[in-house]
Amino acid sequence: MNINVQLVLNTTIAIPSIQSSGVTCVLVVSNIDLPTNLAIMKPSTFLETSIKDFTVNINNDYRYLKTGYYVSLHAEILGSPVIPSSENILDANRIPLLLLKASKAGIPTLPFLVTDSVKQVMSSFEFPVVVFAVNPFSYEGFEIAKNRSALYRAIKSLGRNYKFAVCVQPLLGEMFTFKSIFGRCKQAKSIEQISRKVYDVFEVPICKLHIQRIGKKVHLCGLQPLRKEELLAVDVEIISEEISQLSKNGDYLIG
Amino acid sequence: MANIACFVEKYNFADSNEAMALQNFKIAAEKQGHEFDFLFRKNLREIPKYDAVFIRATTDPLYTAYIVSKTAWELGLKVVDDPKSIQICGNKIHLYSLFSKYDIPHIPTIFLNKDAFNHKRILEIFKVFGRPVVVKAPYTSFSRYVEKVACETSFREVAKRFFRKSDALTVQKFMPTAFDWRVGVLNDEVLYVCKYMVPKGRWKHGAKRRGKPSFIWGRTITLKRENAPTELKETALKACGVIGHGLYGVDIKEVDGNYVVVEVNDNPSIYARYEDLRNEDLYGKIIEYLVN
Repeated sequence: MNINVQLVLNTTIAIPSIQSSGVTCVLVVSNIDLPTNLAIMKPSTFLETSIKDFTVNINNDYRYLKTGYYVSLHAEILGSPVIPSSENILDANRIPLLLLKASKAGIPTLPFLVTDSVKQVMSSFEFPVVVFAVNPFSYEGFEIAKNRSALYRAIKSLGRNYKFAVCVQPLLGEMFTFKSIFGRCKQAKSIEQISRKVYDVFEVPICKLHIQRIGKKVHLCGLQPLRKEELLAVDVEIISEEISQLSKNGDYLIG
Repeated sequence: MANIACFVEKYNFADSNEAMALQNFKIAAEKQGHEFDFLFRKNLREIPKYDAVFIRATTDPLYTAYIVSKTAWELGLKVVDDPKSIQICGNKIHLYSLFSKYDIPHIPTIFLNKDAFNHKRILEIFKVFGRPVVVKAPYTSFSRYVEKVACETSFREVAKRFFRKSDALTVQKFMPTAFDWRVGVLNDEVLYVCKYMVPKGRWKHGAKRRGKPSFIWGRTITLKRENAPTELKETALKACGVIGHGLYGVDIKEVDGNYVVVEVNDNPSIYARYEDLRNEDLYGKIIEYLVN
């Protein structure tokens, strides 16, 4: 009995013209309609194929267990270089790991605490504090707690009734949230720099970044997926521009 | 002398056999001249002061254990379970993809994506695997989120539940056996071998009691590792080889004289008087691996 069989159903799949031999061209897998001359493959189609190429995974939601994650994973299993990698997806969406890796790469961050204890937060930071969910299911960004009861509520709701820990950072300035598309954003220079650096480290093409501005300095606080409706026509244009650029530089990127 | 942190959660001490196993790890570490502290969720900032981290809380890329593992890894500490092993073993789609890629004999498996789930697909699966089939969520552990379905209605009901959390799931051929082999592997060597028996009238080692939230578990029969079949041990080592060099529990079925891998688990259960019954040196071996 042959039990180690490769089972693939629905094998009659139309493969876009982008497919080529070797890994000299860029395969774009996207759940977003992009106005570009490049052939775009839908995630559901890509997951059923074995096309091996430099893969750019465009998705508004890269959270763990979501299609955005499985596309990168599938490309890696096939042995293709892929943006973003499944490891970066995992780490970028877990705030403590995002901050740890960002700080190692020289991106300014604030001290943080991973906990589910109100008492521990109060002995570490003064109010107000910013509370982020650590569980990657959460779409909500953060909550600001200005007193003990607000902190208690934030830990309970963002930690899904204490099932998960939360990540707490001091609030010493002002919080800002903006879209980052391939590290690009239309913000002040200091913010644009942080956006570019975060992209250099994690290579997550589409996300929302939370930063804290204290005086003139900006600090990375969190990263969050975008809802599809948050993507505007101008954002989609930037995505198209970037993938056209990646496609032109394909040989260089892969080599 | 090394300082070892053992990351645990409160539930790790709920079962007396598991609590005893944790104490056995501490005794083994201290016997070798090392410090062994239990590290809880509220003490995570103490990770940098240790030389090695041993995770006993349930691992999954969704849980705090992954944060602990990756933090320790980024800080350059020795860590069991390492983050890569958690990433692979914590997601069955990742695991079975690697098994297919590297020709590890495993239960015939199909991946099902949320966008491609329809009547035609269900019929195709039943045609290939027969009925019933086993639907498995990628994040399954301790026999949870693994269900047997024999008709389209129950298939849709189970898939709908599992798709809430994951956009893909696995479907496997139903291969009933009286027991699953469990082979404990550490650093490419077999550590212990057990038989996880299936309770009477059930089809998996841990089964939910009808109408109750509690589980009923089958017996565990432990063998001396030297007495376990060589082919079984080779299959287990081959399966672990595609994941990493840490601590794993490999579940294997024996079907028609062939060994078929069910799954490889990182963070395998180690309960006193069960897994260690005929292989008492396992505590010392794990500690040695952590500090070397």
